[in-house]
Amino acid sequence: MIHGVDLQIKDGEFVVFVGPSGCGKSTLLRMIAGLESITGGDVVIGGEQVNDIAPADRGIAMVFQSYALYPHKDVYGNMAFALRHAGEDKAVIEDRVRKAADILGLQDLLKRRPKELSGGQRQRVAIGRAIVRDPEIFLFDEPLSNLDAALRVQMRVEILRLHQRLETTMVYVTHDQVEAMTLADRIVVLRDGRIEQVGTPLELYHHPENRFVAGFIGSPRMNFLAAERSGDGTTVTTQGSAPIEVPVSPRDTQGPVTLGIRPEHVELVAPGAGDLDARVLVAERLGGETFLHFDLGDEGDFVVKTDGGATHQSGDTVGLSFPPEALHLFDAEGMAFAPRERHALIG
Amino acid sequence: MSDPTTDKPEGVPTRPAGRRKRRRAAGAHIFVFLAPALLIYTVFSIYPLIESLRLSLFDGLEDGTAVWAGLDNYATLLFDPNWATQFWRAFWNNLVLFFIHMVVQNPLGLLLAALLSLAPRFGSAYRTLIFVPTLLSVVIVGFIWELILSPLWGVSETLLGTIGLAWLYQPWLGLESSALATVSLISVWQYVGIPMMLIYAALLSIPDELIDAARVDGLGGWSIFWKVKLPLILPTLGIVAILTYIGNFTVSFDLIYSIQGSLGAPNFSTDVMGTLLFRTFFGQQLQVGDTHMGATIASMMFFIILVGVTIYLALVQRRLQRYEM
Amino acid sequence: MTDTASSNRARASRAKGVSTRVAVHGVLAGYTLIAIFPVVLVILNSFKNRRGIFTDPLGLPGEGTFSLEGYATVLTQGDFATYFSNSLIVTVTALFLILLLGAMAAHALAEYRFRFNTLLGIYLILGIMVPIRLGTVAILELMVDLNLVNTLLALILVYTAQGLPVAVFILTEFMRTLSRDIKDCARVDGLSEYRIFFEVVVPLIRPVLATVAVFSMIPIWNDLWFPLILASGDATKTVTLGVQQFIGQYTVNWSAVLASLSIAILPVLGALRPVLAPAYRRHHIGRRQGLTPHHPEVRRSVRTHATRRPQVLWRGQGDPRRRPANQGR
Repeated sequence: MIHGVDLQIKDGEFVVFVGPSGCGKSTLLRMIAGLESITGGDVVIGGEQVNDIAPADRGIAMVFQSYALYPHKDVYGNMAFALRHAGEDKAVIEDRVRKAADILGLQDLLKRRPKELSGGQRQRVAIGRAIVRDPEIFLFDEPLSNLDAALRVQMRVEILRLHQRLETTMVYVTHDQVEAMTLADRIVVLRDGRIEQVGTPLELYHHPENRFVAGFIGSPRMNFLAAERSGDGTTVTTQGSAPIEVPVSPRDTQGPVTLGIRPEHVELVAPGAGDLDARVLVAERLGGETFLHFDLGDEGDFVVKTDGGATHQSGDTVGLSFPPEALHLFDAEGMAFAPRERHALIG
Repeated sequence: MSDPTTDKPEGVPTRPAGRRKRRRAAGAHIFVFLAPALLIYTVFSIYPLIESLRLSLFDGLEDGTAVWAGLDNYATLLFDPNWATQFWRAFWNNLVLFFIHMVVQNPLGLLLAALLSLAPRFGSAYRTLIFVPTLLSVVIVGFIWELILSPLWGVSETLLGTIGLAWLYQPWLGLESSALATVSLISVWQYVGIPMMLIYAALLSIPDELIDAARVDGLGGWSIFWKVKLPLILPTLGIVAILTYIGNFTVSFDLIYSIQGSLGAPNFSTDVMGTLLFRTFFGQQLQVGDTHMGATIASMMFFIILVGVTIYLALVQRRLQRYEM
Repeated sequence: MTDTASSNRARASRAKGVSTRVAVHGVLAGYTLIAIFPVVLVILNSFKNRRGIFTDPLGLPGEGTFSLEGYATVLTQGDFATYFSNSLIVTVTALFLILLLGAMAAHALAEYRFRFNTLLGIYLILGIMVPIRLGTVAILELMVDLNLVNTLLALILVYTAQGLPVAVFILTEFMRTLSRDIKDCARVDGLSEYRIFFEVVVPLIRPVLATVAVFSMIPIWNDLWFPLILASGDATKTVTLGVQQFIGQYTVNWSAVLASLSIAILPVLGALRPVLAPAYRRHHIGRRQGLTPHHPEVRRSVRTHATRRPQVLWRGQGDPRRRPANQGR
């Protein structure tokens, strides 16, 4: 069930729909494709309302999560299927299929059947099938979810390069926020059938408009601390700290607030020299970076990301310093307080 | 020497030694699982078949003993005018029966299954109701149709009359020329549910995404059926064909016996291998039962089925791949 | 594109959808009518008197035609209670044996590696192609020797033998797709192979058992051949045979005949919903995407066993499936 979605996608843009399972991102994609019925509102492609027009006539091509390759046809047949059905000239078909095969490196696999291909190869055939149709919009429905981690990273880059090369509009659905961040020109975050926020990856990273988006984008997740406001201002205290000034525009709201700061923005100082002192629970050393886990507040793990050379150990007490420009403040409903200044990287 | 299979990490409690005994009876459970099924199956299915084959190679004497006859019985069956006429006629009738089933029942089952796989409203109601005749006993089916087609009751005449075709009506079951076809169609009416269900299940196993992909590729319902669904269910269609074949040569007895009796009335026009076997074995007014000739007929039926299945496996099955979906 | 052009295309798309739907329902409803009409006709007319049946066969039983005389004759003259219980006993017992023995055999074939596995598998499944009726001559002699003629046991044994090949075939195929992990987990927990079969495997195959039950039950309940040949005595007659002979006896008495047919039909119809429902209780968990189907049942069972953490990991040699993993505990 999708509720009141109002979205505009620019020509040639790479838009990613992201959100937890069941948030409606696939449904929204399928509505664009014409595979789901629409009870209210319009889908407009290229200035034309397409609500009742069949998927094949909308100028779209789709890549499915399970690849959906025809088992009884070989790779060439899979890619040529739509054109052959449309009665297209054999030479034209041959030309288009070969071009697509070249782009994706499938030249040697054209005679193989899907069951003889690896997952990554099947995915490329699925993409090749879409390319052959020469669509105005590419639709991707979680195409990398069935691949193992290493392959996923590799295919991500390939899809990005494909977009650079073809310059076609692409709408991509995933539950993985890393994919969203790396691929998208703009991200649409969805939850329970509603759009939570639309923006460029950096906009979502630096200025999430609510707690959900703040906690969804970025890995490891943003840290949240329950805090008390002093009066109507923008000064808060948390976990018994001294007052902390948050550079946001004041708002007239009631109720408890939440302070947010990303693990990579917390600074480690000597005990007593920062905003809070805390004891290290666990230190995860990855070599290039270290994650320190603190038992702070009720919102679960408080994580700080720091340099690989850090020597902190479990049991050490450290001081945590929160740079004001990295702080986020959310009201009782989870809505963010607007920042007084936008981040330098964003217009 | 440390035994890796018995060493335990410290602190894990030891099991009492008695438990070790089970290792010795290692393979026993396999035997226990398999034996009962194998036993019943061998004694009541395989052994009788072999025994029937054996009996067909003997002849019975007046005093009840059996004497070796080699392939004499088979020769008699195939060539002796007393037997051959019946045999070849029954065999031909079976072929006609099979043909009508392949041409009417299976395409109809395919059509119904294809329509049902589109998941229309009331789909499960349709499925259930169409399956009702299959659930009915053949006795019921036979008699219902006898009644409906009966000239005495006149129901069919009336019904045909409503669409202006009353003049078409004949007592089809009673006429030599039409009895076999009529009985075949009644059998089709009863059993169409089975191919319908089998094909329906096969169609359901086709992933939805594949159909979506075809829609995006521009195929409409009809094309999707011919170009995507049908190729993927060919193995199932093959199974349906072979089951029809086997069924027609064996189970057809029930319906024909119910409607037309063991003589395949009228005038043997509906006599099939099954009825021939029955009356040869048990006898009826015109002849005494003959165990050995009965066994011979049964063996012939077995060979006919074997030939059909072998042809199918050799020619058809090899070409049909089961597609991984 | 102009507005009219696109709305024309939309209208055409929509119209195609409607006419397809009409055609689909037309064919389905049409054939359903053909399938149901004879049955309905018989049941309706069984409630009429003789005159009603003849003069107004297509009408509903009404004022002058409603009568239960047919049923009266059937219930007093025919011993249908006995026939029913016979059919029930034979069918239920045979089904039980087919499912139990078939599942056990299928489990052995699918789970364990042993010397004659493939051979025995082929042997059992060969029976699908070999109709048991062809051995009737010898079966009758066998029953005579075993003194089982005119007993329900004879029918039960024969039907079990008849139903085993298909059951084993379907169940083996299915059991091969079951995850090995959950059985190994149970082994490490110390369960015997028998307990593993009954407590772990059987719950996982319930939907398939239901399907096999449906397919096996019909040829047993409706069979005419073996009751006729092996158990035609009055005490052991099945419903199928009983109705057939009753009809032969009372051919002229149409009310009685139709009543007997209805009595034979109605329980079958009554059993329809509970019988067909489990067989088609589809795993309607979202859309099928061509991934390995995950039974809700599997997930449930995996959870209960996965919570029992094994204390000792398997550290032995050899095939853990041949020797239970409770060594060294």
